[in-house]
Amino acid sequence: MPSSQTPSIAGYALDPTTVRPPLSDAEILRITPGELRETLVRLREEGCSMLLDVGGVDYLARVPRFDVVYHLLALPAVPASVEEIGTPRRVRVLVGVPGEHPHVPSVTDLWVSADWAEREIYDLFGIVFDGHPNLRRIQMPDDWEGYPLRKDYPLRGPAREATPRPSFALKSNVPAGAPPSGKVAEALRQQIARARGQEK
Amino acid sequence: MEVRPGEFMLAKLDDVARWAQSSSVWPLTMGLACCAIEMMSVQAPQYDIARLGSEVFRASPRQADLMIVSGRVAQKMGPIIKRLYDQMADPKWVISMGACASSGGVFDNYAIIQGVDTIIPVDVYVPGCPPTPDGLLYAVNLIQQQIRQGGRGGILAKT
Repeated sequence: MPSSQTPSIAGYALDPTTVRPPLSDAEILRITPGELRETLVRLREEGCSMLLDVGGVDYLARVPRFDVVYHLLALPAVPASVEEIGTPRRVRVLVGVPGEHPHVPSVTDLWVSADWAEREIYDLFGIVFDGHPNLRRIQMPDDWEGYPLRKDYPLRGPAREATPRPSFALKSNVPAGAPPSGKVAEALRQQIARARGQEK
Repeated sequence: MEVRPGEFMLAKLDDVARWAQSSSVWPLTMGLACCAIEMMSVQAPQYDIARLGSEVFRASPRQADLMIVSGRVAQKMGPIIKRLYDQMADPKWVISMGACASSGGVFDNYAIIQGVDTIIPVDVYVPGCPPTPDGLLYAVNLIQQQIRQGGRGGILAKT
């Protein structure tokens, strides 16, 4: 359901990841859901043993609409000093997911830490992780309808979207056309002038 | 007032009972958000809610008289708060602490209940974001005043 609070699509950079400068500390891979498993298995074999986080992004107007982002860190396999490790390798894997029937294979069998992260993305974005052992909502109530972090989800919830918001812009004590900040600044100037006059 | 040996006092049982009850309003241990930090400082020595007889924050709703809703109430938390309130033994009181608990505050969104009074009755609202500890103490004072005046839930109330 499109929301009245959704900003116009024209104001969006469709995919910020294409214009963002490359980060010196992380490799960024962009892949499709079909390539996900083999890519992550390969990276794990190369030493990226820790899955730091899994995140979701909704770009709304872009095709594919969603991104699922995997943050990987290479931990040393044996005890090592800081000098030996140097700067550990970091990999960021971006998976584009279509807006219609979003499906991504689960990686809970590779990293247990993906369990709750994938549930959270399912909860808030509605992206289904195939093969997840316990895919149900984690933050919202179990009977919640809709996926709140999608950009087209009404901010105040579907039930209250139609009710008017309180307006703080209407100030009856300020005459129309007079910027209140100007009045304050003028009052301050007079106050300063008076104080200086008293000093002299 | 001093009662020496051999002397005695006369009073209405209701008044004595309400006096005792108002001096031992035990809050429920329930911190929801940042207001809970102020609630904890009310309990700590600097403000010392023990002076009012409310020093014992009970971990069980069965033993608590006062629920301090200290923070924003998430939609998921709503049924839990309702259940805790129902589990508290009568008579019971509720303080809605801070802007979020009273009206949703700045969180005008899908996830937050817009005022805890939509799910449980509230006796005293404390404004502020967060309220000062003095504000919460004053709210407890108002509750005590209510009890002494035989307001809702007096221990010997006929209704």
